[in-house]
Amino acid sequence: MSAPAIDLRGVWKGFHDARRDQTVIAVEDVSFSVGRGEFVCVLGPSGCGKSTLLRILAGLDRQDLGEVAVKGHASVVFQEHGVFPWLSVEDNVGYPLKVRGAGRAERRRRVGPLLELTGLTDFRGAYPHQLSGGMRQRTSVARALADDGEILLMDEPFGALDEQTRLVLQQELLRIWQDSGKSVVFITHSVDEALTLADRVLVMSARPGRILADVPVPFGRPRDILELRRDPRYGEITYELWRLLRQGAATASAGAVPTGPDASPASPAGPPGAPAGRGTPPSPPSEVRTP
Amino acid sequence: MSTPASREALVRRLRDERSGRAARIAGPFTPILLLVVWEVASRSGLLDARFFPPPTSIVGTFADLVAAGTLQTHALATLSRVGVGLVLGAVPGLLLGIALGAVPVLRALFGPIFASLLPIPKIAILPLLLLIFGLGEASKWVIVAIGVFFYVFYNTMGGVLQTQPIYFDVAKSSGAGRWRTWSTVALPAALPSVFTGLKLSVGGAFVIIAASEFVGSRTGIGYLIWSAWGTLSVAKMYVGIVTISLLGYLAGLLVGLLERRLVPWSRQ
Repeated sequence: MSAPAIDLRGVWKGFHDARRDQTVIAVEDVSFSVGRGEFVCVLGPSGCGKSTLLRILAGLDRQDLGEVAVKGHASVVFQEHGVFPWLSVEDNVGYPLKVRGAGRAERRRRVGPLLELTGLTDFRGAYPHQLSGGMRQRTSVARALADDGEILLMDEPFGALDEQTRLVLQQELLRIWQDSGKSVVFITHSVDEALTLADRVLVMSARPGRILADVPVPFGRPRDILELRRDPRYGEITYELWRLLRQGAATASAGAVPTGPDASPASPAGPPGAPAGRGTPPSPPSEVRTP
Repeated sequence: MSTPASREALVRRLRDERSGRAARIAGPFTPILLLVVWEVASRSGLLDARFFPPPTSIVGTFADLVAAGTLQTHALATLSRVGVGLVLGAVPGLLLGIALGAVPVLRALFGPIFASLLPIPKIAILPLLLLIFGLGEASKWVIVAIGVFFYVFYNTMGGVLQTQPIYFDVAKSSGAGRWRTWSTVALPAALPSVFTGLKLSVGGAFVIIAASEFVGSRTGIGYLIWSAWGTLSVAKMYVGIVTISLLGYLAGLLVGLLERRLVPWSRQ
């Protein structure tokens, strides 16, 4: 296999809240790589640091420790409110081109096929407040495609949509991705979504976010996301992922480390079963195997 | 059951039925209602007619002043001062509002300067401005501009500060540099607030210019009102007051019209 599109080695990221004098470790010692053309889902509970991870990959944040190698430009599909309310659908999609100095004619020429691809042609002149949530997210996807990075980073893009719209957009995303050859990192809190889309699912624990497991998804391509659900393996892997998530929630030690004068130093490298800070219940036995 | 006929009837009804349409058309004319109430109250003796003469009785004075061209001259003088002052105040207010809104260091450094200047009653510095700029137009432009600046500056800065951080992320991940980010995110995101500032500015500008013309001018509606006091001409005073309220009102409508053109996304 050729060099990976994304390679992370021992990445840490923390935030200090000066007002409460607390340091929160959002991402703890995360290592993984994503092959070229691969579709990887990062699955974890809300607040587990998976969005922070994506921001690091996108270059919007910098890791505090560790190495991040991203080969090529990464385009981002943001959570639902990422489309500009002051631009029409067409101008939203053409925004990355405009930033790079493309003229009106060139933008039109390149945006047209993307609107067609995402089913937005009839809404090209509409403003986001006139659109449904699904249409807004199509706009966001189309804009990332116009940005045309080799890597596509998606931050729970369908999280706020109703289930039926989500299924439609998932199927469309798979179709678009397969023709594009892009590498995808897709953040989600939905087990179903991860299984539906990914080649591999990285399961993250609750804060501080660590990678608990790297689960390969055995379903072939192209996928019919409806037929997928009849496959007996679907139930098995669903169970396995939920089991991992539950363990991750149970073993998550207190993510907030007091940094006051009398606080004991944090022991970040300790195993998941290491003694937690004062006032927290004892950790369960270390039945978790680190990946 | 849905027959083609009943569906068509429904479609037609929905198309013609624009909720609140009557209110929208009638809305701009409701100030006339105020005049009617005033007229009735004054004629019935509910209001002292020496100080509140019925509006119809000042129509004659109004017509005389128009016929002589006096009213137009004064109105034009006031309008041009407000117009120039608005531009002189709004442009720096907009630019500095975006700069301080988007750059925390600038805000921390220079924010207190503007905050300490804000509470000064603008009319209180008129004597100083008269010394510096003389009795001509420049002193009027500057005092209006100072008043307008603060409205636009604070509203613009507030608009930028309230921008959702995700929009800046989108700009950054699209490869936008600092100037691109300002012009394509900070400015449009702040535009609705900018217009709030402009609407407040129009009202404030007329207050300031009227007061300035009382003392520092021989032209303008403010001067007209002030000189009417000198001759105890209550009717002329009211002509001035009504004219300035009308000018301010129309200027406000104009800004509203501009807002609908430039901020189409906030239209419901």
